Amino acid sequence: MTTQQLRPIVSVFPIKGKVKTIKQVPLPSVFSAPIRPDVVRFVHTNMAKNNRQAHAVSTTAGEQTSATSWGTGRAVARIPRVKGSGTGRSGQAAFGNMCRGGRMYAPKKVWRKWHRKINTNQKRYAVCSAIAATAVTPLVMSRGHRVNKLPELPLVVSDQLQSLTKTRQAVKFLKFIGAYRDVEKVIRTKKTRVGQGKYRNRRHVLRKGPMVVYARNLGIKKAFRNIPGVETASVYTLNLLKLAPGSQMGRFIIWTESAFKLLEDIYGSWEKPSKFKSGFYLPRPVMVNTDVERIIKSDQVQTVLRNRRPRSRKYGKKIQRADPYEDMSVMLKLNPYYKTKLQKQKELEEKNKEERKEIVDKSRKEYEDWLYFSEEEEEEEEEGSDEDREIEVLSDEN
Amino acid sequence: MSKQVPETIKKQSKRSFNSKEVKKEKNEKRMKLLKEIQTKAFKRAEKYEKEYLEQEQKLVELKQKALKEGSFYREPEPKLAFIIRIRGIVGVPPKPRKILQLLRLRRIYSGVFIRLNKSSLRMLHFIDPYVTWGYPDVETVRALIYKRGHARVNHQRKIIDSNEMIYDKLQKYDIVCMEDLVHEIFTVGKNFKHANSFLWAFKLKPPVGGFSTVKKSFVNKGEHGNREQYINTLVKKMI
Repeated sequence: MTTQQLRPIVSVFPIKGKVKTIKQVPLPSVFSAPIRPDVVRFVHTNMAKNNRQAHAVSTTAGEQTSATSWGTGRAVARIPRVKGSGTGRSGQAAFGNMCRGGRMYAPKKVWRKWHRKINTNQKRYAVCSAIAATAVTPLVMSRGHRVNKLPELPLVVSDQLQSLTKTRQAVKFLKFIGAYRDVEKVIRTKKTRVGQGKYRNRRHVLRKGPMVVYARNLGIKKAFRNIPGVETASVYTLNLLKLAPGSQMGRFIIWTESAFKLLEDIYGSWEKPSKFKSGFYLPRPVMVNTDVERIIKSDQVQTVLRNRRPRSRKYGKKIQRADPYEDMSVMLKLNPYYKTKLQKQKELEEKNKEERKEIVDKSRKEYEDWLYFSEEEEEEEEEGSDEDREIEVLSDEN
Repeated sequence: MSKQVPETIKKQSKRSFNSKEVKKEKNEKRMKLLKEIQTKAFKRAEKYEKEYLEQEQKLVELKQKALKEGSFYREPEPKLAFIIRIRGIVGVPPKPRKILQLLRLRRIYSGVFIRLNKSSLRMLHFIDPYVTWGYPDVETVRALIYKRGHARVNHQRKIIDSNEMIYDKLQKYDIVCMEDLVHEIFTVGKNFKHANSFLWAFKLKPPVGGFSTVKKSFVNKGEHGNREQYINTLVKKMI
């Protein structure tokens, strides 16, 4: 992986004296393998089945009778019943799984599939994940190991550890390096097993303590053998069931220097294959950089994005609006000319009114003139021809 | 003491489409546009008022002229009709039902404008018993669009509350304000189709004072069918 060109440095500690770095080694590529709890879980559950011993129920259990059903008409259930008489057993139900003394439902057979095959690559993937998890302090702590006092994780110590022979020396070393707290935890929490295992030769239950991984056994195995909780393992044969007990990743491991260095050869890297596992390269993660938020917010991405579309008011709020014929402000928003229009109409009306008024006045005047003038005429006529009129009247009457 | 702003946020706000400067610019542009629209609206409304007045006067002139000469003036046939559906949706035969659907008259007392030509007249013939229609005048068209005019925006029915709405949709047909819309509809201009389809079908109220009998045609003292200029009084009762 290009991101792993630069490998971090890990300190190597001595096994006695002062806890300080005596040497520095690069971190093997395995520790950057993807940590896949799902793979580890799958492989672990199947691997754990592989140390099972077959068990079964006797083939004849519950079948050793010659029971026959009594059939109908006898006011009893139709289950096969034991033949004969003279004993309590006679007439009792037999054979069925529901019967007392009958055979069980689906009697267990030895030819049950006890072991599981797992693809080699999957197994290796799980082991790589588990090893990588041992370097992640939060994972180790969450597994329950007491690692507060350790100088560093992953914990690598000098090869002198491999030459230890006495348990006393081993304990002294653990105390020196700060790993004894984990051992103390194991001792403190040793309990009788809950359940029937206790009288099946599995009386006590112990926690898992530190695991010591070595390259060469020069006495180390025996030295650590009797310390409760501590396990030793050769780096060539790391067992997933020990690296991730209960499929829980993050075992506390103490590596010897040569074992640590060997990891690079045993598991290889993404560029170089493993020397011991033919054709095996370290598994590649699905995502190299999992900080998605940072990727999205980076300059490289943001400058190439198109502009954010305006929030679509597809189903926006219902717009309320007053009746424009009742609310002038609404009307003016829609038709700014409206006010002017009304004004003009008013002016026109007024003008028409005036015009009409003129016309009406004129005609009225004419009418009055005519009236007045006709009255004058009448008066004049009356003055002039009074007598003539009377005469005429008289003559008419005659 | 100024707050420490994380660099990513600073960078983001610079790049941002919605940054303050960009928003400000957009808003200014919009305000300018609105002002333009309103000035246009004013001028055009003025123009149209004159136009309508002139039209009326012209009509009167021509009639008087014809009378003087002792002949007749045949008015141009109406181009615009307003249809109101006055029967419900129960028991409508398939052909009228389809035609009513095509004309967007999907419920009772819904109204639409329609351009009158041979095809549409034939359609109206089929749906006569279910509708009443006539020739609206300017004031009716105005009242309908102002008071009950809803726009079809984004497949939704939204009341027209500003000229901006009209501008957004009909700017390319040179219709930018209410008066433009009224004018286009009333005079059945080049873009009548677009102006009309911009408007959602009018939802009117049942008439104040009621109908006489919808079963008979208007001509027979009923209500359905063509009622020419009397549609104006009816719309006043239903608006």
